[in-house]
Amino acid sequence: MNRRRFLQGCAAMGAASALRLNAKSPGADVTLTIAPMQLEIASGKTIHTVAYNGQVPGPLIRWPEGKPIIIDVHNQTGTPETVHWHGLWVPSNVDGAMEEGSPMIQPQGSYRYSFTPRPAGFRWYHTHTFAGHNLKKATYSGQFGCFYIEPKENPGNYDHEIFLALHDWNAYMGGGGDASMDVAYDYSTINGKMLGAGEPIRVREGQRVLFHILNASATLTHWLACSGHVMQVIAMDGNPVPMVKSVQAIRLAPAERIDVVIEMKQPGIWIFGETRDDYRKAGMGIVLEYAGQQGEPKWMAPPEVLWDYKPFASTKRAVEADELIPLVFRSKFTGHGDFDHWLINGKSFPKTDTVSLKEGKRYRLVMKNESMDDHPVHLHRHSFEVTNLDGVPLSGLMKDVVVVRARSTAEVDFVASNPGLTLFHCHQQSHMDFGFMMLFHYV
Amino acid sequence: MAQDNYEIQVYGSDTVAPKNTMLELHSNFTVNGSKPLAGSQYTADDTYPTNHAEHETVEITQGLTSWSEVGFYIFTSERSGQGIQWVGDHIRPRVRAPDSWHWPVGVSLSTELGYVRPRFSADTWTWEIRPIVDKQIGRWYFAFNPALERSFHGPGVSKGVEFSPNVKVSYDFTRVITGGLEYYASYGRLWSFDSFHNQQQQFFPAIDLNVSPNWEINFGVGVGPTASTDHLIVKAILGRRFDWSGHHEPGSSASTQ
Repeated sequence: MNRRRFLQGCAAMGAASALRLNAKSPGADVTLTIAPMQLEIASGKTIHTVAYNGQVPGPLIRWPEGKPIIIDVHNQTGTPETVHWHGLWVPSNVDGAMEEGSPMIQPQGSYRYSFTPRPAGFRWYHTHTFAGHNLKKATYSGQFGCFYIEPKENPGNYDHEIFLALHDWNAYMGGGGDASMDVAYDYSTINGKMLGAGEPIRVREGQRVLFHILNASATLTHWLACSGHVMQVIAMDGNPVPMVKSVQAIRLAPAERIDVVIEMKQPGIWIFGETRDDYRKAGMGIVLEYAGQQGEPKWMAPPEVLWDYKPFASTKRAVEADELIPLVFRSKFTGHGDFDHWLINGKSFPKTDTVSLKEGKRYRLVMKNESMDDHPVHLHRHSFEVTNLDGVPLSGLMKDVVVVRARSTAEVDFVASNPGLTLFHCHQQSHMDFGFMMLFHYV
Repeated sequence: MAQDNYEIQVYGSDTVAPKNTMLELHSNFTVNGSKPLAGSQYTADDTYPTNHAEHETVEITQGLTSWSEVGFYIFTSERSGQGIQWVGDHIRPRVRAPDSWHWPVGVSLSTELGYVRPRFSADTWTWEIRPIVDKQIGRWYFAFNPALERSFHGPGVSKGVEFSPNVKVSYDFTRVITGGLEYYASYGRLWSFDSFHNQQQQFFPAIDLNVSPNWEINFGVGVGPTASTDHLIVKAILGRRFDWSGHHEPGSSASTQ
């Protein structure tokens, strides 16, 4: 039984800060309509995809922390859909994951999500369906959007706020040879446009601009730099980092978010984009335009940057967990012409063990990645604290996605504070579809 | 075959990536091959015999773009009484259908031009065009190279274009070990094949070891059932890929976590 059968069996940028809604349903605060659309990512390049409210990314949902929200979702496609509220502490039945018991929204059907958004910070929403070998479905599509939960008190020191969502398009099975198949893409976009095709980010010298950046790619990790501008990292996955640091480039795995402040003090026309030439040429970038400046956008490569979560965390050892949950990740070879299948503790979903949790206890996921791939693992409906990376103890870094690199170890702690079925999975669509998922349940 | 038993390989459609170089050593030992005429050190076509000859071929392939490469061959032969001898050189440009075309099978087109000394091949200057079609489905791999060859100097000139198909079928037993069967043939003139007796036919049960993307390892034992084919050959290919793209140069990125 694979995930598909299990499911069957269970059967903008800154201007986007205003909430754009299509035909708001009576009684709803937000209405999302899932429907096919044609997205022009650049002149002459159109992607046939499925998106929310006819736009990519979907409308920015900006909502005060602690205020209940009602979101109506209409599914105008021919297949069941669901919307997952990524990083939010919501009940299982509205989390938007079928595996946790959230109902699927039937074709031409509707569903009303009602919950109280928390915790504050940069979250997002996206489809949570099975794609398998159909690389146009699920998170390969345009079904994603930013969800910003306004903190009750915002201590931010910035002049301008911009949301950027990265995505890759026209996926196909590539690779093979000595390796197994992997997903490759033709095009990349930021806020639905290839580099140079959309409106530039317009800034003025001296401004401090806060960027909320989301990697909504189904499978690819991206590196970004801002042509000579230093990025001050203030939050990861929407949670303030214990140690604010300035970097030349950032790494974002699928589903990761980062908040960076950039002080605009290099007048010119610049490219904010992928550090790797081939991805930037495929479209992963956006133009940064200072007021009064003219000319072609310039790319300035950053010096070599080694990405590491550790400098953003406290070096103090985290408090001890009540219970350890060992998780070993392995791959199962199925031929150089296919995707690998994935095993957690020797089993693929839905045969993976369902681990019992007791409310109030602190658990430590002790993860050992014995495979040759990196895994951005995500825990639904909870945040976790990164407490150890490759044997180095840490604390204070709160996330909901963490990359467990190939042949490495990572430990994260979470408090069982949100009863209900809780999904844990790799956020690479091709990994979760082929076994890399498991459930926790409260007893 | 254009390279006879100097380079024994069914081509896949993939090309070497730009800023990458593939260095391969093809080592082929003919256990049972052509023998000299009585009282002569040469065979009937006035070439050195292949029996007990060790052929070492160095192949250097440079990736040009994401869809093109060029290869260069240095053929050598060693045989008792003859020492190590330079045999000849070939050059081989190749293009392929880019990934962005999303074709259901891999397709590329290779052409090869070169010279081989007359003591090693009666046809010295030859040209080959080799369409390549391949497909990996799960654990199975299929490749077909319907090559056409033309001699420009030697007795083969009068034969015009000859048809030399190669086929490979393999199965991934594990991530590392792939086993399969390779077939090499030269049927003779296009549209007017030689008799079976005079055709070249070789079957190579072969193993590929996929130890790393940077290494290519292939072993095979070939049996030639027809009179004009070397009857038993042992072949090995050892390849090493060199990446000059500089993943850790300024401007690129890596991660420690």
